[in-house]
Amino acid sequence: MNLMDRWNPRSWGRKLPVTPGRDAAFESAPASGLDDLQTRLSHWSLLWTQGSEFASSTEAQQLVAERLARWMERCFGQHVQSSLRGEGSQISLASSTPIFTAFLGRRATRELSRRVLQDI
Amino acid sequence: MPRLVRWIWILLALHLTLGMIAYAHFQVTGRYAVLGWYFWALGSLFFLVMTAAECCLAILCRSWFDSDEPMRLAWSMIACAAMARLAGVLLRSASDGHLPWGHWHQLSQPLGGLFASLSQVGMVVGGPLSMAFLAIGLGRVLGIQRRFHLLASLTRGDKALLLMVLAFSISQISMNLPLLWNRPSLGTMLLWLSDPLLGLLLVEAILVRRSVIRMGQGLVAQCWGMFVLAIVTTSAGDAAIWASNHGLLSDSMTALSWYIWFVAAAAFASAPAYQFAAIALTREDGLDFLPRP
Repeated sequence: MNLMDRWNPRSWGRKLPVTPGRDAAFESAPASGLDDLQTRLSHWSLLWTQGSEFASSTEAQQLVAERLARWMERCFGQHVQSSLRGEGSQISLASSTPIFTAFLGRRATRELSRRVLQDI
Repeated sequence: MPRLVRWIWILLALHLTLGMIAYAHFQVTGRYAVLGWYFWALGSLFFLVMTAAECCLAILCRSWFDSDEPMRLAWSMIACAAMARLAGVLLRSASDGHLPWGHWHQLSQPLGGLFASLSQVGMVVGGPLSMAFLAIGLGRVLGIQRRFHLLASLTRGDKALLLMVLAFSISQISMNLPLLWNRPSLGTMLLWLSDPLLGLLLVEAILVRRSVIRMGQGLVAQCWGMFVLAIVTTSAGDAAIWASNHGLLSDSMTALSWYIWFVAAAAFASAPAYQFAAIALTREDGLDFLPRP
């Protein structure tokens, strides 16, 4: 079916032919792949929720916090961080996403988060 | 400063420079010919460009928020306010007696005699209607700022200003109420709402200003700061008209006060330009302010 057929009433009732695929036998993933996935997920989780509860932060976490702080300063101002959180707690994606989403919108915040996590 | 905002203020500076030449001519000769032409031709064009820019930018900002996001309503209202201001400028230009079609419009009674003239329709649409939309939009913004604890408590100066605004609004209403016996047109009555609505906007502007001070000088903070500037300058322009009508200002001071409206128009256009710059920043490549690994 080409693009223009979509507007042709004759083709509305026609069903698209089902291409016989390969045998859909799903095999269990190797254990090493699952471990890799778990490590990756916990890494992203740490980056997402980095806060005061994590005493020792990695270099990547520091970078995320620093980038978020720069975004906060650029978008809202130099005093906004102290207004939003108490002294001592570090900025994280989880804590900053609501304010970014509220004032910039969901789509812009998604782009911003992508920028923050770039090359990490 | 974002590029769009810079262009707006460069355009204002150029426009005001030309305006000052016209004003100097008026001061030297005592004649309104050049000054009148400046406000009629260049002034109208400037308002048209600024309100059109404000309208486009506000619609663009609105499009970045999904329908279930709280800021969507705020930007919808701000876009409506901008559209109303643009419609007001167009209606007033259309009913201008200096233009070929102006006389025809002046003879007709728009909307079944509810309004005195097409110019009055423009004044209502660009004035109270636009202010009402903006008041709803800013109210929504204040609600969101409150949720994030960005609103600070009012200072004594703020409270004194609020009391002044309240007293002025009440005095205006009490002055206009006896005029109801003269059976004024609907347009005239709607125009009476201008001062109370401007008072409400000033109250909101004071509260927004408090939150801006708490935030700093970021792009979003500057966006709301520009709305504050626009509302304050509009109030100053309104106060100048009131003072001029009561003979408190000389002719030269009255002419000088007309320039305030250009600053207000530029501030209104700058507000969505700042918001758009903040949104556009998330899509820009090669951001130099972000630290690299």
